[in-house]
Amino acid sequence: MGQANNKGYLEQTETIKTMIQTCIQCGTCTASCPNIEFMDITPRHMWRLLLMDHVDALFLSKSFIMCSSCYYCTLRCPRGLELTNAMSLLKQTASKLKLKQFQRSSLFYKAFLDSVKKHGRVKEIEFMTHFFISMKNPMIPFGFAPLGLKLMLKGKVRPEFPSGGSGKLTALFKKVAELEE
Amino acid sequence: MAIGKTLVAGAGLSGIRSALDLAETGYKVLLIDQSDHIGGLLCQLDNQFPTSKCGYCRMLPMFDRDRSSQHCLRKGLFHENIEILLSTQLMSVEGEPGDLKVTLKQNPSLIDPSLCTGCGECERVCSVFVDDPFNEGLTKRKAVYLPSPQSFSNAYTIDYTACTRCGECEKICPTGAIKFIDQDREKFKILVVDDEKIVRDSMKEWLKEEGFSVATADSGQKALELMDDRLFNMMLTDIKMPGMDGVELLAKAKEKNEDLCVIMMTAYAAVDSAVDAMKQGALDYLTKPFDPDVLISMALKVYHEFEIAEARVEQVDALILAGGTQFYKPELGKNPYGYGVLPGVVTGMEFERLISGTGLGKGKLIHPKTGKPVRKIAWFQCVGSRDVQADAGFCSSVCCMISIKEAILAKEKYGQDLETTLFYMDMRTIGKSFDEYRLKAQEENQVRFVRARIHSLDEDLKKKDGSLLARYVDLQGNIHEDDFDLVVLATGQRPAKQMTELAVKNDIGINPWGFIETTPFSIIKTSRAGILSGGSLSGLKDISDSVTCASAAALGACKIMHEAGKQPIDAHAIDMDDLTILARENPRILTVLCSCDKDLSQTLDLEKLKLDLDRIPENQSVEIMDKFCTDEGWKTLADMIQKTNPNRLILGACLPCIQKQRVKELSKESGLHSSLVETLDIISILKQYPDSQIPKTTQRIERELKALISKARFKNPVPGERLESNQNALVIGGGIAGITAALSIADCGYHVDLVEKDDAIGGNLLWMDKTVDNLDIQAYLDEKVKELESHNQVTIHKKTKTESTAQNPGEFLTFLKKDGEPDETILHGVTLLATGGSQAPLMKDNEDPQQKELTQKEFEMGVQDHKIDPEKLETVVMIQCSGTRDEKRNYCSRVCCIRALKNALFLKDKNSDIQVYILYRDMMSYGFYEEYYTEAKNRGVIFFQYDSANKPLTQIQEDKVLVKTRDLLLDMPVEIEADCVIHATGILPDLPAELADQYGADLDTFHFFKEADSKFRPVDSMNYRVFSCGLSLKPCTIEEAVASAEAAAIRAVRILSHERLVSGKMVADTRTATCSMCEMCVDTCPYGARFVDSLEEKIVIDPAACQGCGVCAAVCPSGSAVLEGLDRRLMLDVIDMALL
Repeated sequence: MGQANNKGYLEQTETIKTMIQTCIQCGTCTASCPNIEFMDITPRHMWRLLLMDHVDALFLSKSFIMCSSCYYCTLRCPRGLELTNAMSLLKQTASKLKLKQFQRSSLFYKAFLDSVKKHGRVKEIEFMTHFFISMKNPMIPFGFAPLGLKLMLKGKVRPEFPSGGSGKLTALFKKVAELEE
Repeated sequence: MAIGKTLVAGAGLSGIRSALDLAETGYKVLLIDQSDHIGGLLCQLDNQFPTSKCGYCRMLPMFDRDRSSQHCLRKGLFHENIEILLSTQLMSVEGEPGDLKVTLKQNPSLIDPSLCTGCGECERVCSVFVDDPFNEGLTKRKAVYLPSPQSFSNAYTIDYTACTRCGECEKICPTGAIKFIDQDREKFKILVVDDEKIVRDSMKEWLKEEGFSVATADSGQKALELMDDRLFNMMLTDIKMPGMDGVELLAKAKEKNEDLCVIMMTAYAAVDSAVDAMKQGALDYLTKPFDPDVLISMALKVYHEFEIAEARVEQVDALILAGGTQFYKPELGKNPYGYGVLPGVVTGMEFERLISGTGLGKGKLIHPKTGKPVRKIAWFQCVGSRDVQADAGFCSSVCCMISIKEAILAKEKYGQDLETTLFYMDMRTIGKSFDEYRLKAQEENQVRFVRARIHSLDEDLKKKDGSLLARYVDLQGNIHEDDFDLVVLATGQRPAKQMTELAVKNDIGINPWGFIETTPFSIIKTSRAGILSGGSLSGLKDISDSVTCASAAALGACKIMHEAGKQPIDAHAIDMDDLTILARENPRILTVLCSCDKDLSQTLDLEKLKLDLDRIPENQSVEIMDKFCTDEGWKTLADMIQKTNPNRLILGACLPCIQKQRVKELSKESGLHSSLVETLDIISILKQYPDSQIPKTTQRIERELKALISKARFKNPVPGERLESNQNALVIGGGIAGITAALSIADCGYHVDLVEKDDAIGGNLLWMDKTVDNLDIQAYLDEKVKELESHNQVTIHKKTKTESTAQNPGEFLTFLKKDGEPDETILHGVTLLATGGSQAPLMKDNEDPQQKELTQKEFEMGVQDHKIDPEKLETVVMIQCSGTRDEKRNYCSRVCCIRALKNALFLKDKNSDIQVYILYRDMMSYGFYEEYYTEAKNRGVIFFQYDSANKPLTQIQEDKVLVKTRDLLLDMPVEIEADCVIHATGILPDLPAELADQYGADLDTFHFFKEADSKFRPVDSMNYRVFSCGLSLKPCTIEEAVASAEAAAIRAVRILSHERLVSGKMVADTRTATCSMCEMCVDTCPYGARFVDSLEEKIVIDPAACQGCGVCAAVCPSGSAVLEGLDRRLMLDVIDMALL
């Protein structure tokens, strides 16, 4: 079977595989997914790839990061599988493995969370600045310029916010870090 | 010696089967049902597959049939040996087999059924409307109603929970059949526990208004204190309360008072905990906020049972539980698919009512809410089955076929242009003709099958016409949105709640899902001796399996009664009376008409009628009487018979009055033979022509009566013929089915000859090691063989073949050819064909010198012989449906998928690193076997689905086998290098056509034994003395083979138990004087009742086999084949009279 070039993903995905092992490929998850049109492979396809140990193919696609955790699939899975949690684990694995194709999203999330951790809420300007710096590509900000301007004009993004939330979420972040251990 | 008696709890399909089998054998049966009609679920269903017809009546007795009713079982049942109690529940059972004490609770109706004429006046005046459960709540009915539209007794009943006791019906009833009992509701004490004062107070108010005594408590603690003071009958408690919660209170209160009825109250969001509470003994629950009416009706129901129910204790020898199953309620589950909210979402049962002739649409298919015609229907499979989120890790086994049937029925009834779509996961066509039926649906009827599971349903907001939008993904991953007018949910089944409760209370083992747990290798024996399970109680079954299981349970009861030294009744000794003298007497006919409370004189010209009928010489007199329905009226009639001494009687009255049972009692009292009493339902005829003028109506009734008089005057009073019947059995085949059948018959006290062609007894079980549930097959077989060999009623003939046979009425004569021993001829009364079957050989495309491609049997035997070492295997591929379920052998062998799962789990046990792939078309892990499918998945077995057009290919490579298939989901080719490939080749029956033919049995297209009726007589042949069981009958597991053998055994025992069999009144005969011996009648008789007696050179008839159909009389060129009781003179006279 085609397990040849799985680049050591297998160890990481073994837990996820056991979560979905009893899948009977009925397709309920796929039919329920509200983000399906943004995915190049369907959730059912993802579970099948996992089951067949075609993890390389799974990580070549970015479909799982489209999961918005609506829990529709989990709610209706006849096998009672925790599919949304499996999706989250896939996201975490992709981030942990520092795969190139997920670098952008990982860094975006990281910059977002760093900002939240620091101020107790997101400070858009700072968050985007950190993201741009971490991407190490001077062209990226230009791509976001039209959207940024639009948001600013509508008052959705303001240069400064009153501070005071800093440190309030520390305990929460600590707990999450513990759980992720 | 004492006569054996069995209690059968549940009078549905299985209950009736068990009861009739025992009654025909000659045992007494008490048949109870908690509902108000017999017939169970099948009363609501009009048509069954594969015939799209019914056939319920085929369960009725074949010989001595005048002892029982001979009409549709939905109309009711009567048998001399069966006592039926309706609205009766089994409460408890104590004791040992042969001496069981059962406590029954009966809710007598407020209407006396012996007085009710079914005139319907009460229904007309009743002002209360409630959902009609018979139509699954799709229509309304009154609080006083007919239990089932087909019911023969026509007696109304009152729904005491809905009835407001306004008394209107009591006033209007012309026969005084309705009597409300004075109630003393004050002595019924209710305790309301809630922490909210407003809830407590308003509930107290509502309940007090109904006359109950009510106390309240604001906490669990308070409630318990109150309970120390006095005894409460009912408690209503909130679940969420500070301190002690409702569930805890329930447990503590039940400790104090076990009989306390507890109703839980809960907010909508916490229904789960209420359901949990019900599992712990709560009776029901109410969701807040609730309507006072709901509360009151619940309280009234509990009260009614407390007040009216009478306990009755009975002594019986055995108990058969046949309470059946109930359907899953989608509205209570996590995924209701909009059921109850979206119009146009119905359950399968509701759909059956919708399309039923007696149902909502009255023959038209209309939308239940909008009333518009329906053109597009979808079926969703596995609603509440194969769904762990609905507490169902099992498959309901029957829904796939039910849905296919419904789709075909809908097309047949409402036109082929109706669009029907079935959404399914695996199409479980697990019977021998099921795959063909599916193919018929797909090809002939154009039913669309889509392999997909629907997530949820939405209203089509664009169309806004009430159509429903189903979104699904196809195998390629494309999303589709289809709209439908109607969606049918194929709801799974659950155990009947009362049966589970009864089991828990009486230490009868249940499985995790609440079904009755049976002992190893049996589907009828429960954990308690003397208590048997019939029908779907021990796991879901279709009609034929339920009937088989019910018969098997009857055999179990029969064995118990025999072991306890109880006898069947020798009924035919009682019945002999001197009717031959009567036959020589001139007919003296008495005609008595009931005037139905003087009503009759207003619609009929009675004087003219009397005058006209008096002109017939044989008619002694015509009498008009009043109210047969009262005891008094009936007594006057008996007196009149005594006085006038007629030898034939004609009764004209309403249907309930002239029911066979009443007439039988009358004839017993008056000494008039029941076959000489003719009855006419005048009231029903009058009802058909409400607007006719008196002269016209009178003429109509006169004709009917004259026809009956003609019939009476020519009728031969001589009762049915008696046939000497051989009381030995022959079982052909020494596999597990043959062994079980032989042992079962022998255990009931009859001698059995068992013929086996091989040297060893055991058949297929000889090569099997363990079952999927890890039972030791060899140990079981050893035990059975030992039992068989040491049984003094069994003669085993090994290395023997049956060479030829001759059948005379009542007896077979079979010549046994023995290897190494002198040949032998045996006489026997019944024949059981248990010749078994074998695994189909593997059709190999490749040269395979190293035996890498094996059948399941070869693999299992290889492991047992240590030729195959699981630890040395790395990759194993299993290919299901190899050479089967295709054009050549289009049936599912039922056992191979389970066997594959067993082997996969075995391999994983022996070698956890092994990679097992199962290539399947539809995974047939029906019933509780679904758990092994899940387990195999959990253990890392990989499943590939393939379709029949793209079968997997194998190629031998040095020491590996290359298997090529496609992964349908990933849409890519797959190649697996396997160490060994195991093919599931299916089962081939081993029943030679000549052998079957010798005994007058037929084979079906696949060479299995052909049943007399695949659903209702699943082990019988058209020859009433020949049966089949095990693999020669159909593909089956060991338990199923055992059950079919037990079923065949009781079918045989019911014949063997009679020294003489009595035929029906109407039976064929031959006028030998004019018979030319052309033998056309012999070939035509569908029941094999006619034989050529070559010594005497005449045609002889087995009167017990003859069903009086008259085909022989129609086919006979010389008019020598006649039907007694329907001869030419009689028929012509009847027609003449009717045409006058």
